Amino acid sequence: MDSKQPSPTNEPVLREHVYDGIQEYDQKLPNWWLFTLYLAIAYFVIHWLCYYQLGLGSSDEMVIDQAIAEMQVARDKQMESITDEQLWALSRDTAAVEAGKATFMTQGMCVSCHGPDLSGTLGGAKLPGLPLSDKEWKHGGTPTEIFKIVRKGSPDVTKGMAAWELMLGMKRVSEVVAFVLSHHKEGEPVTRAADSPPLAAPAAAK
Amino acid sequence: MTSTAASKVPIEFNDKVVRQFMLASIIFGGVAMLAGVFIASQLNFHQLNLAEWMTFGRLRPLHTNAAIFAFVGNMMFAGIYYSTQRLCKCRMGSDRLSAIHFWGWQLIIVAAVITLPLGLSRGKEYAELIWPINVAVAVIWVVFAVNFFLTLHKRNEPSLYVALWFYIATIVTVAMLYIVNHLSIPTSWTHSYGIFGGVQDGLVQWWYGHNAVAFFLTTPILGIMYYFLPKAAERPVYSYRLSIVHFWSLVFLYIWAGPHHMLNTALPKWLQMLGVFFSLMLWAPSWGGMINGLLTLRGAWDKLRTDPVIKFFIAAVTFYGMCTFEGPLLSIRAVNALSHYSDWTIGHVHSGALGWNGFMAAGMFYWLAPRLWNTKLYSVALANFHFWIGTLGILLYVVAMWISGIMQGLMLNQVTADGLALKNTFLDTLQAIRPLMGLRVIGGGMFLAGWLVMCYNLWRTIRSGTPVNEVREVAVLQHGKTDTMGMKDTFFNDPMACVMGAMILILGWIFLPPGADIASLICAIVFGYLAVRRFQKTSHTWANWYDRLLHNYLPFTVLTFVAVVIGGLIQIIPTITVNSAKNVEDRIQKLYEPLELVGRDIYVSEGCYNCHSQMIRTLVPDVMRYGDYSRLGESIYDHPFQWGSKRTGPDLAREGMVGQRSDSWHYAHLMDPRSMSPQSNMPPYAHLNTKAFDQKTLPTKIAVMRRLGVPYPPMDATEIKMKALEQGVKIATELKKSNIVVRPDSEMVAVIAYLQKLGHFDQVEVEENLSRKGQGVPFPLSPVIPDKARRADGSK
Repeated sequence: MDSKQPSPTNEPVLREHVYDGIQEYDQKLPNWWLFTLYLAIAYFVIHWLCYYQLGLGSSDEMVIDQAIAEMQVARDKQMESITDEQLWALSRDTAAVEAGKATFMTQGMCVSCHGPDLSGTLGGAKLPGLPLSDKEWKHGGTPTEIFKIVRKGSPDVTKGMAAWELMLGMKRVSEVVAFVLSHHKEGEPVTRAADSPPLAAPAAAK
Repeated sequence: MTSTAASKVPIEFNDKVVRQFMLASIIFGGVAMLAGVFIASQLNFHQLNLAEWMTFGRLRPLHTNAAIFAFVGNMMFAGIYYSTQRLCKCRMGSDRLSAIHFWGWQLIIVAAVITLPLGLSRGKEYAELIWPINVAVAVIWVVFAVNFFLTLHKRNEPSLYVALWFYIATIVTVAMLYIVNHLSIPTSWTHSYGIFGGVQDGLVQWWYGHNAVAFFLTTPILGIMYYFLPKAAERPVYSYRLSIVHFWSLVFLYIWAGPHHMLNTALPKWLQMLGVFFSLMLWAPSWGGMINGLLTLRGAWDKLRTDPVIKFFIAAVTFYGMCTFEGPLLSIRAVNALSHYSDWTIGHVHSGALGWNGFMAAGMFYWLAPRLWNTKLYSVALANFHFWIGTLGILLYVVAMWISGIMQGLMLNQVTADGLALKNTFLDTLQAIRPLMGLRVIGGGMFLAGWLVMCYNLWRTIRSGTPVNEVREVAVLQHGKTDTMGMKDTFFNDPMACVMGAMILILGWIFLPPGADIASLICAIVFGYLAVRRFQKTSHTWANWYDRLLHNYLPFTVLTFVAVVIGGLIQIIPTITVNSAKNVEDRIQKLYEPLELVGRDIYVSEGCYNCHSQMIRTLVPDVMRYGDYSRLGESIYDHPFQWGSKRTGPDLAREGMVGQRSDSWHYAHLMDPRSMSPQSNMPPYAHLNTKAFDQKTLPTKIAVMRRLGVPYPPMDATEIKMKALEQGVKIATELKKSNIVVRPDSEMVAVIAYLQKLGHFDQVEVEENLSRKGQGVPFPLSPVIPDKARRADGSK
């Protein structure tokens, strides 16, 4: 590179040509500057090689899908310990109730057995499900008890209520419960049906 | 032409057109800044959305277009016309073309000032102007190009100075970018659909948008710096060698960096990675320009104290350095996850536009005015005042935007202790940045005040002098010695062979299937080593070739074009396959019903995209706030795409998902945003209620959509109109239930229909795709998209 202008001193070479009075030195490129350029190029090559050829690292979709799945698991876990108060609060949240209603009313879901008006009847005929709009509850009428039976089904799942947790997921279960609860008032009296199974220990019910 | 080289002739430069462009730039600069201060005020005071045509969504494009094309455009032309004549030692190619260029450009600006507030917009940033104006811009640009190259052709200076290299790059690249990004099919005299859609439109848009910054706001101004800075400092340029390296690396690398505007989105990963890496590699070439500017002042730093021109130039170059350091930083995906869609980006562009462009312009005008009007600058003190108030204004602006962007980004990402819920609503974050948006108005206002002081100072200067056109005795160049290089000399030589060989091998590494890619990389490294060895041995032949190239303007132009065209081709062509519906893998958007399409066009023309994105990134906070991340297929039929670049309001990609919001909510919100979202700063859109939507052009619009490959079934005009009206009636009936009376043919129902459609998609059958993939094993050397050939994904 220096074959053209060997400069005996350290003085920068001034090129001869003059453009409208402007002249140019021909300084060497600063080393630190060259170094940053080389570093950026090397980084490109190494990073690309690692990701595409060596297959290191995950794709964006895999990362985000996993993060969201983990959050869902954590949410479900949190839902396990949901309280009566939280479920009542949810029943006052219109968005949750609306979503619960949509699930409830879907063909083949809750509506098939409990009826569109939650009475357990359709046009006077009795449906397989129990009424949900009255104050009598076979398996317990506190919000958490209702929540549990929607999740796990009736104690003997071969008869009566099916378990919905796997199919709907915890979030939609909670929304359906919110919808059911929206037909009731917090603090209203709850009676147990005559054919209610014996009460489990209260601590276990929670 | 006289026979001897020594014969001298007097030449009068065309300085009239320089004066014209300069005055136009000063006036439109003021207009652009005033518009900026006004729309920045609207962010805090929604009451300033005084009328339909004065809403933020319509005025923001006016501000950006005025700043880029009217202010910097005219400034650039003034600088180019002044310096090119002197560097070529001849008058501009044609006086008539110069005049057509000037008046044509001003007419375009006037047309933009009228059409943008009327809501006539293509809906792509800095490419909003409607198609007839696009045609005019292209024609005037060609006029400019012809005039410029005519000047080069008849020049009396054999060799091209570095400033001219940058002008050449500007002219060819802007022509290419502008034409490709504005390709569209008209549906009427004022409306058209761009031929690209979805992700491909995004890619073309940011290839254009990013390089509007590069080749409209950077390269011509670097050229101007290379002429005016050494002139003002009366010092030689720091390094010719640095000029060569930074020019070529800048023009080659810049083009690739566009995808960094769409990081963490549905844009394929390999394009995102190219965007990031090329942005990082761009840091050094950009700083090469800064170094050459700053170090030219070595030995003349004392002038910084006394000469306002030098002050402006040095501050401008420093802002350029700051801005081009910040750019690569913002391109890093992790940083971008926080900064993108926030005010940080806005601060970044303004440190460039005000600091680099604004101060280069001011320095150049202070230098030119006394020379063009043969007088002295009226007041150095006022120029110094301009400098200080302008500098403080920019700093205030930029710092406010840094704080605002980082704070809003952090607040949007904040989650509750269990990590399962977001802590702040979008409106909470908006309230938090309000004081900073206020500071921004003050900073911008200070810059504008400085500009007005300059106007006064220059006006007094001009009044004290008379316009003069410089006349010079010039030695006429004997033709036949320059511009003799043929195609063979241009392309077949060591430098070109080395560069092209390395390029092809690197492309092989990126695009060849597994096995061949590694082989190609190894070849590239060996080849690179051999090329460097060869260069060390024969560098003088390389230098001689380059010196010869500088004596040949057409080959130089061709090589510049080759350098800028490569990046675009490699990024855009493969996405033609990625973006076609049959290659989409998981989700594909549902077609817009006719009424929804009308609503979409209104959404675009109102400029909603200036504040609302439609792209949920693959980031946890985005997904938590707005829903499942956006897929590539979910905007595939969108002409234009509306991924957005700034969230002054929330993302709308899934606004229409079931159970989200009712029609009556949207109605009330559009009539008065604050009735539904207290403290929102969105303009009201009550005027949508009073206007009927455009039924007449709807069939044409659907027909154009079909031509663009959107699979609408065949429908006749009445059918289309009936469909639109039926849907309108349905929405109007729904609204009546909430005691809201709207016309079923109003723009209001169309926009509601569109908003309610956002986020609706069909699931694509996966098996069908798998079977298609199995068909035909590809030839081992046929190119593949890197994401498909990736080792880890292939094995899963």
